[in-house]
Amino acid sequence: MTARRETDARSALAPRPIDWKHLGLIFLSRYGTIFGLALMIVFYSVMAPNTFFSRANLLNILSAASLTAIIAAGLTYTLVVGEFDLSVGYVASFIGLIVVGLMSYQGLPIWLSIPAALAIGIGLGLINGALVTKVRINAVISTLGLGTMLTGIGFSYSAFPIATGIPRAFTNIALGRVLFGIPNPVFVMLGILVILWIILNKTDIGQKMQAVGGNIEAARLSGIRVDRIKMFAFATAGFCAALTGIMLSSLLGSGTLGVGDGYLLDAFAAVFLGSATLREGEFHIVGTLVGVLILAVGFNGLAILGAPTHFQPIFKGGILILAVGMSTLARRYAASN
Amino acid sequence: MLANGDKFDAFADGGSANARSPEGWMQIRGLTKSFAGELALRDADVDVARGEVHGLVGANGAGKSTLIRCLAGVTLADRGWITINGEELRQGSPQASEQAGLAFIHQELNLIPRFSALQNMLLGVPKTTRFGLIDWKRSSVRARAAAERIGMRFPLERRVSELSVAERWLVMIGKALTRDASMIAMDEPTASLSGPESEQLFSIIRDLSADGVAILYVSHRLEEVLELCDRVTILRDGRIVEEAERGRLDKKGLVRAIIGHDIRAPEDRERFAADKAGKPIFSVRDVAWREAVKGVSFDVYRGEVLALGGLIGAGRTELAQLAAGVRRPDAGHFELDGKRLGIANEAEAVKAGIALVPEERRSQGLMLQLSVGNNINIASLAKLRAFPGLPFLSNGKGRRQAERLVGELSIRTSSIASKIATLSGGNQQKALIARWLGFGARLLILDEPSRGVDVGAREEIHDAIRALARSGVGIIVISSDVEELAMLADRVLVMREGRLSGELTGADIAEARIIELSYHDAHSGKGDKA
Repeated sequence: MTARRETDARSALAPRPIDWKHLGLIFLSRYGTIFGLALMIVFYSVMAPNTFFSRANLLNILSAASLTAIIAAGLTYTLVVGEFDLSVGYVASFIGLIVVGLMSYQGLPIWLSIPAALAIGIGLGLINGALVTKVRINAVISTLGLGTMLTGIGFSYSAFPIATGIPRAFTNIALGRVLFGIPNPVFVMLGILVILWIILNKTDIGQKMQAVGGNIEAARLSGIRVDRIKMFAFATAGFCAALTGIMLSSLLGSGTLGVGDGYLLDAFAAVFLGSATLREGEFHIVGTLVGVLILAVGFNGLAILGAPTHFQPIFKGGILILAVGMSTLARRYAASN
Repeated sequence: MLANGDKFDAFADGGSANARSPEGWMQIRGLTKSFAGELALRDADVDVARGEVHGLVGANGAGKSTLIRCLAGVTLADRGWITINGEELRQGSPQASEQAGLAFIHQELNLIPRFSALQNMLLGVPKTTRFGLIDWKRSSVRARAAAERIGMRFPLERRVSELSVAERWLVMIGKALTRDASMIAMDEPTASLSGPESEQLFSIIRDLSADGVAILYVSHRLEEVLELCDRVTILRDGRIVEEAERGRLDKKGLVRAIIGHDIRAPEDRERFAADKAGKPIFSVRDVAWREAVKGVSFDVYRGEVLALGGLIGAGRTELAQLAAGVRRPDAGHFELDGKRLGIANEAEAVKAGIALVPEERRSQGLMLQLSVGNNINIASLAKLRAFPGLPFLSNGKGRRQAERLVGELSIRTSSIASKIATLSGGNQQKALIARWLGFGARLLILDEPSRGVDVGAREEIHDAIRALARSGVGIIVISSDVEELAMLADRVLVMREGRLSGELTGADIAEARIIELSYHDAHSGKGDKA
């Protein structure tokens, strides 16, 4: 026994030799995504200096990124607590339709229809959360099920795009440029990211979310009401998805079925890219932003270089696989150390 | 794998005391394995003859499982070699072990519940096919013969999920025989069998042995081992400490070998004798849960370190989980400060002031991706808010609490911002105690608090536990390490098969007594077969 303990103490005290391969991998797993983003920007700037690296185009990128960033930030919360939400895209579509419908069909004023739409988004998130925590349905199934149902409900609400009876004030939300000529969605995105970052890092609910995602058993034994924390994460995802849906309708000036569906994949790719950023396989808000920017810059550059449209899904799917792969490897690497 | 020179060395290391018949059907020589710098098995030499029933005993963590896992090919030994029938076994390959004729029956019985007994027995066996389809009739000839041989009297088409535990054991043995196993290792086979079922198993084991199938019998039930085994190998702290033929050992000798020859006299340490006339802090009243806990009652008094001794599977962990709200008791209840508790979940237990430092530090206690400070503060966030009523945490309060506790428990970390995963096991354990110190628990249950912890850290953990007890926190320590119990406890309750088998106080607290009570009840001569 004594000898066993001695070896234990020895191995703890002995300085480890520097393992360059290990350090290299750590660097790659932490800064690889940021490095990739920088490389992309340099590459596109060199290839298309006048078009890509112009103020108008950069604002364009940011503007496109902001809607994805909002929905992805909400999705980040569900992944932080170790769950999943495949309904975010459908919720965005659904709420985008509903918010316009409330103004156009129901004749509600804008200041009422937007909060109502956001509340519905939170409610949908809570339904997802309840299905996962109370009924204990696997999140993949329950959120996909609910999302699919929303498509049908949206269709029954309005089979055609709603393009009339939309107040100017509504379209101005996303199209306007209140400050420095920067599109409004960028500010909304920044606001949401800052709030979600503060909640995740500076409040007890954020600490509890990280604890639940880190080790659910340990979190339970620490007296954390795990189910409530997960419900909160799903509600946040619902809220963010709803906000993206509202901004999208404002941008398009209409409520159209299915316009937000595509955000699901973008958001997932961004969140997983983000989890391989700065930290080893953890989901966090800053990382998600980096992930979103990679996607936005990537798409924008492809378009500017004149890549055919069918390149986009190839890029998107490829990035998703790459992102999840990097995130998984990073996590496995962190676990083995 | 190994050069010849190594083999000679291994023989030399064996020494004359371990001289064995070279014709052993299975020979293990110099098998050594360490995990994270800790030697789990060192220089193990074991011989098993054809058809021998070979007992393998030792305390928890003595190295039995490691030895078995090496044989099964699921763990790769650091050094040492194994020959079977004169041929060296390729280690680290479950397939190679199976082909060499080794079969393993773990306590959990790795069967597929939805499959029939027959399908389970034929799992992984190449099947006869006709036109590409499985010909079950032909394929099952050998399985049916095996079933016949061990007297499986139920239809083999039955699903395993419908079978009793005893019948599942037969399926596992039948499965081993279907693939011509020449040795079957059995881990605690009688743990979940009734008396008559155990007898049936023993008679099967004897028949198999007569047919030339060796049995490696791992059990805590020493009387069974003595009765059944031709030879017994005793492990302690990763070493083989004794090997004896049938009749050369008795139970007393076995117990001595398991815990070590140097049975120390009860320590002269001053043990805190709690004032039992006073009100207990925490009471357990007739608590029962399934088969694991069968009506347990006791009290924890102010100032004392109460320890629960016993073997793994005695129901101690389950009892701790019941108190901490992880499980709900089928019967009975708990009282804190004389008030009856109704606890539905972990959060309510924590709210009442009951905290559990669980057995599995990494999988149940720590959030490995978080910092030392976060891990310490996670249970007391409500206290660490910047403004009461608002959810924002005060960085300063959190840092001060974590730093104070890191200092108090002398947790060695470069900073409270370091990831907890980078700390040694002992310091991680101290951080978990710090978590509940910061929270202000009324009752702290520590399940195996010094498992995998070095001796210095163990002392510090013990000091912290004692200090907590003296300060008025109710303390229950669960440990399978009798040495630790004797060192730490002011009072020891021993559990055996879901019940309290005895209580030790003051000078009676000795390793040998604890072990004895783990295997017997306090006032009966009989023990294990109940």
